[in-house]
Amino acid sequence: MATRETTGAEFTLDTAAELAAEEGGRGIEGRSPWFLAWRRLRRNWVGLGFLAVFVLIVVACLCAPLYAKHVSGLGVNEINPGGTITVDGKEVPVVSKGGIVIGPNGEVQTVHAGGVPIGPQWGKAGGQYVLGADSLGRDIATRILYGGRNSLQVGIISALICSVLSIFLALLAGYYGGIPDWIISRFFDLIWAFPVILLGIALGTALSVNGFHHFGLNLSGSSLWIPTLVISYVYIPYLARPLRGQILSLRQTEFVDAATAQGASPLRIMFSELLPNIASTVLVLFTLIVANTILTEAALSFLGAGVQPPNPSWGTLIAAGQNTIVTAPWLGIAPGVAIVLTVLSLNIFGDALRDALDPRAKVRIEH
Amino acid sequence: MSGWEVLMRSRKRWTLLGAAAVVAALALVAAGCGSSKKSSSGSTQSTSGKTFSTLHVVWGDTDYMDPGLSYRLESWQLFQNIYEGLVSQKHAGGAASADVVPTLASAMPVVSAGGKNYKFTLRKGLMYSNGKPLKASDFPATIVRDFKMNSPGIGFYSNIEGVDACEKNPTSCKSISGIVTDDAAGTVEVKLKEPQSDFLYVMSLPFSAPVPAGTPAKPLTNPPPAANGPYYMVSYQPHKSFLIKRNPHYKKDSIPTVPQGNPDVVVGTITDDLAASAQKVISGSADYDENLLPTDRLTQIQKKYGDHVKFFTTPSTYYFFMNQRTPPFDKLQARQAVNYAIDRDQLVKIRGGLGRTTQNFLPPTYPQYKKITHYTHDVNKAKQLVQQSGTKGMKVTVYTIGDTEIDKATGEYLQGVLKSIGWNAGIRELAGGTYFTIVGNQATKAQIGFTDWFQDYPYPTDWFGVLEDGTKITQIHNNNNSNVNIPAVNKEIARLSHLPPDQANAKSTNDAWAKLDSDLMVKYSSEVPYLNGLLTDFFSSRMDPSCDVNTNFYSDFSQYCLK
Repeated sequence: MATRETTGAEFTLDTAAELAAEEGGRGIEGRSPWFLAWRRLRRNWVGLGFLAVFVLIVVACLCAPLYAKHVSGLGVNEINPGGTITVDGKEVPVVSKGGIVIGPNGEVQTVHAGGVPIGPQWGKAGGQYVLGADSLGRDIATRILYGGRNSLQVGIISALICSVLSIFLALLAGYYGGIPDWIISRFFDLIWAFPVILLGIALGTALSVNGFHHFGLNLSGSSLWIPTLVISYVYIPYLARPLRGQILSLRQTEFVDAATAQGASPLRIMFSELLPNIASTVLVLFTLIVANTILTEAALSFLGAGVQPPNPSWGTLIAAGQNTIVTAPWLGIAPGVAIVLTVLSLNIFGDALRDALDPRAKVRIEH
Repeated sequence: MSGWEVLMRSRKRWTLLGAAAVVAALALVAAGCGSSKKSSSGSTQSTSGKTFSTLHVVWGDTDYMDPGLSYRLESWQLFQNIYEGLVSQKHAGGAASADVVPTLASAMPVVSAGGKNYKFTLRKGLMYSNGKPLKASDFPATIVRDFKMNSPGIGFYSNIEGVDACEKNPTSCKSISGIVTDDAAGTVEVKLKEPQSDFLYVMSLPFSAPVPAGTPAKPLTNPPPAANGPYYMVSYQPHKSFLIKRNPHYKKDSIPTVPQGNPDVVVGTITDDLAASAQKVISGSADYDENLLPTDRLTQIQKKYGDHVKFFTTPSTYYFFMNQRTPPFDKLQARQAVNYAIDRDQLVKIRGGLGRTTQNFLPPTYPQYKKITHYTHDVNKAKQLVQQSGTKGMKVTVYTIGDTEIDKATGEYLQGVLKSIGWNAGIRELAGGTYFTIVGNQATKAQIGFTDWFQDYPYPTDWFGVLEDGTKITQIHNNNNSNVNIPAVNKEIARLSHLPPDQANAKSTNDAWAKLDSDLMVKYSSEVPYLNGLLTDFFSSRMDPSCDVNTNFYSDFSQYCLK
């Protein structure tokens, strides 16, 4: 058997013969690469388990309106600082009341500190405030579910946009080479020159002030599309560079020469010949980039440059909880756990997917 | 006063131990009018026998450490023992803190020409921390320096004769003809265009504290300008630290109205992190925490540290502005709706209980205060008013500060309330450092939002003149965020601001201010005041908290003492 380096750039699904031995002698003839990948993937219980976790999180977040209506009884931004709930037959304020007693000469006699929200009730209050309340009496569980919708929406859509743009630019650069490649590569370098978070903060902050009103787009500063577009932009080189390298390699292969000799147009070669050959790489990179975009969204929102209030996201919820980490730790911990579970499940599933598609590939997002 | 002057008065967080100022103010005015007799109300409590070597403090961040430029509580609190004025607000707590007493001046000024001329005489032998003698001519040089630096305080001097050229082109200001000095005699005479009800308070502000003539007209950081008080600032690292020592050229008890001071050295660490700040005192690495205690830990700290946590009322009002130049708040019903819709108790709760509800613009410590109880929390009535205003469903953006948890929660509360009464309410959270600049810019067209005001000095002109006078609305740095511009109100503010000293605190004048408060808040519903704030002092276990004296410029570090 010929040996070859197992770099991402050389990754291809034309490895059936080489992998046959690794399949334990099971027949692979007549099986599509996708079938083989699925066969490997379904044996990876850890990967599938974490896929199930991710799907559960997505489904739970999608059910946020149902939870708000039928369980917590409070909408995502519905405040209730003066409200009370019944816990074990007793009426309890959602946010503790404070106040001062002023003496006859205007001096402060007594101060009763207040404003501390109720903690997790774990079902003792009939579904209300399962994970506690924030200082405005909003239901944390409801906000985490809605925040998850926003975080996942921003993360997944930005990864999709980023993938589409990266594929397009990588195909152009890799296929044409020369000046187009130089221009596109310098564009990647330009973005790459800035750390992801710093560039995200700069763009997110600038755009969240006055929104984006160019090229026929009219996005307000609080639109979810602002962090979505910013994140998709900052990740372009991280996805496009490995793809460009792979296309440069594929461009020299015989099947591309054959297609050229047959008179295939550049567009046809790019989208019918080259694109299918990088599909598995894109798929693996996509799962990994989603995890990264979710983390980036959380970081930007935590810093005030991502999802804008009153829309919650896991990042804004952690930011809101950091000030009360001593007295009401659940406010910051709960969304933090949600982020950890989501990113962990995506990363582990991404690794499993990579192993399934090519156990020797080393595709990863490098920062 | 001209319109642009208010532009220079940036928003400031300010605190004072609440006091009924009227009696004291009357006394000082009477003293000023009647004669040049030395005031007897100027003595401060003795500090002998309580001195100690080093005081470690943790302090909130500030803008400048230059008395000509700083407009922040954090600096002014330190300045009260470093940069003295010809007169100062008394280093005392309670009602006496509102007294104006002679400091660099040997006595209260002689007032003549119907309250238009003030003549001060300097004490003998005063020296700056750099060893230079303090001269009468340093005072006009200081005011000119303020103008040259475009100081936020120059608006306070617009009533001085001959100031017009400096107002028109501050950075080219050379002299002010209305300030006449005689270095040999040590006299400073200030001539006003017309009587000014609050003039002595203006003279007590740090902007008026003399620095040596020839001090560069640029922000001085390290070291700050030479001091004339018992202490001087040895070094200042912005956002990090400061070091204060005794002024080597300050003769003991040379200014009897200023405490000699207990600590020899003050080492300050600067941070805005409330939790870290409190932790420094808890761990014993700092003796005093100038920042507000984190509200979520108040109960815990209060229980554990008892009387080492001190609370004091501040002459402050927290309120929501409503821009009357933009819909829907150009309609009276819309403004009334907000006043009915908010639950002031809930807003106190958001502040951790550190406040008391109010519907007045003036704080309750003022003699001009008459409690307003017009608005009851009534959401249904608010909804009706929104309906009547014809603005239901209109898009409204609430502005608030996003990097302070309490302000952020307050803004989100208001947004929730506005949504509940029929507007399509959104929110825009801005960084605290730029918030007032952005909402104070007319181009922003900020509709409604959070704001607060802490007094510069205890007189209503500092409230209505700065915040509610339509003649002082500016394009940028506008403090009148609601753009309140009611001709009758403007006229009344002008009348009450230019009374001779003997009328400035008369009962009829106080009643007139109280009526103005009521008219603005009820008849015109110009703002949504909701609470008067409380602040905290927190001392380490080695300190004696009974030495804490909250003057008009906040807790006086010079009077701190060990157990």
